[in-house]
Amino acid sequence: MRLTVIDCGVNNLTSVCNAVRQAGHEVEVATTPEQVASAERLILPGVGAAFEALSRLRERSLDQALEESVRRKGRPLLGVCLGMHMLAERLFEFGEHRGLGWIEGDVVSLSSLDGFDRRCPHMGWNPVEVVPDSETLFGKPRGERSFYFCHSYTLRTPQADRVAATASHGLDIVAAIRFDTVFATQFHPERSHANGSRLIEAFSAWAP
Amino acid sequence: MLRRRLIPSLLLRKGRLVKGVRFAAHRDAGHPVGTARAHNAQGADEIVILDIDAAREGRGPDLEMLKAVAAVSFIPLTIGGGITSADIGKAGIAGGADKVMVTATALNRPALVGELARALGVQAVVVGIDVMREDGRVLLYDHLAGSTAGTGEWVEWLKRAVGEGAGEIRLMSVDREGARKGFDLALYEEAARHVSVPIILEGGAGSLAHLDDAFKAGVEAVGLGTMLVFSDNNIFKLKQYLDRRGHQVRRLEGA
Repeated sequence: MRLTVIDCGVNNLTSVCNAVRQAGHEVEVATTPEQVASAERLILPGVGAAFEALSRLRERSLDQALEESVRRKGRPLLGVCLGMHMLAERLFEFGEHRGLGWIEGDVVSLSSLDGFDRRCPHMGWNPVEVVPDSETLFGKPRGERSFYFCHSYTLRTPQADRVAATASHGLDIVAAIRFDTVFATQFHPERSHANGSRLIEAFSAWAP
Repeated sequence: MLRRRLIPSLLLRKGRLVKGVRFAAHRDAGHPVGTARAHNAQGADEIVILDIDAAREGRGPDLEMLKAVAAVSFIPLTIGGGITSADIGKAGIAGGADKVMVTATALNRPALVGELARALGVQAVVVGIDVMREDGRVLLYDHLAGSTAGTGEWVEWLKRAVGEGAGEIRLMSVDREGARKGFDLALYEEAARHVSVPIILEGGAGSLAHLDDAFKAGVEAVGLGTMLVFSDNNIFKLKQYLDRRGHQVRRLEGA
């Protein structure tokens, strides 16, 4: 299976590509709409600033290519961290930015949440609680199901039926979402050792 | 709830790992790639690798070695050494690192922290703060100058570093480095009162009890050097012990 990793200018492509290869798959990096259009299965990674990532995506017309490929043609997409945030309607990070709007809700800073009193960024290994019908996307659990988180912003969505997993960092936060042919995680599967590798494996076999 | 983190702290010099005492008397400590692979397999939560000659030699970190280490690491990787600009930081991330660490280069030019944060995101910027206790006082240590003279107040620098955009702090007790006499927990407690970003405490780990003491005191992450190099300890054994002591550590499957 070949997985296509989208390069939106600001991301950790190397670690994502390394992890996909480690899971036994071929990897291609896409920088053009044509490459996205011909991809069978996509990964949208992202670290860094939301505004910059969204701008690059739009400058390269990758937003439209994703819309066509994932929303219309139903190709599976795995979003990671900022790659999940970009799917929201609005992102509040150094101002307000318009996301792709594939899921209702906002991306806001953890420290702006009522009752948040933990360290921020939320950094480290955190167990996740997986919603039963999304179990297959995480692969068969062997031992503790913790993943590596590294973020200061979090998705708040009213579409509770799209939440695939949650994690507790003082408050419950969205750890993963799932709808149609989209699966996206707040944590970094590419840095989550065997649990991450199993998730990438499960995503590569996913037939939504 | 977040797991307590155990982070091997690797020092790179001319293609090999080294380890010393109080930033000196370095001895060979193995090959970086083999060592990273072992830590990865044994359940390390992250790896930090610092090219300790880079800043002094006026260059960036050894990116070829970083790439080789990144290729065998499926846990977060932080690199440091000679990161004097956002471009060098970006090259580090492009090479497979998840975070970059700046220590003396940031102390000498605090605006660097903000430049890195804007280029890479706050979550990718670790500021290393090296301190020494001298006559009961805590002094900032500049490893490039090899001195605590004229470095300013450490708490002021800690707060400023976070204000500039540090997403994490690595707090190093230089006087305990390699000395195996336990962590400086009072130092951690003071730092934790002043900033709300995560703090990795390093310097002094020598026995299992030291780790137990640190986690009991609320430390969220520890950096380990000597303890993993010149002993028969490994992360797997440390975690088994800590788990039995009731600490929340990430357990490998089957463990």
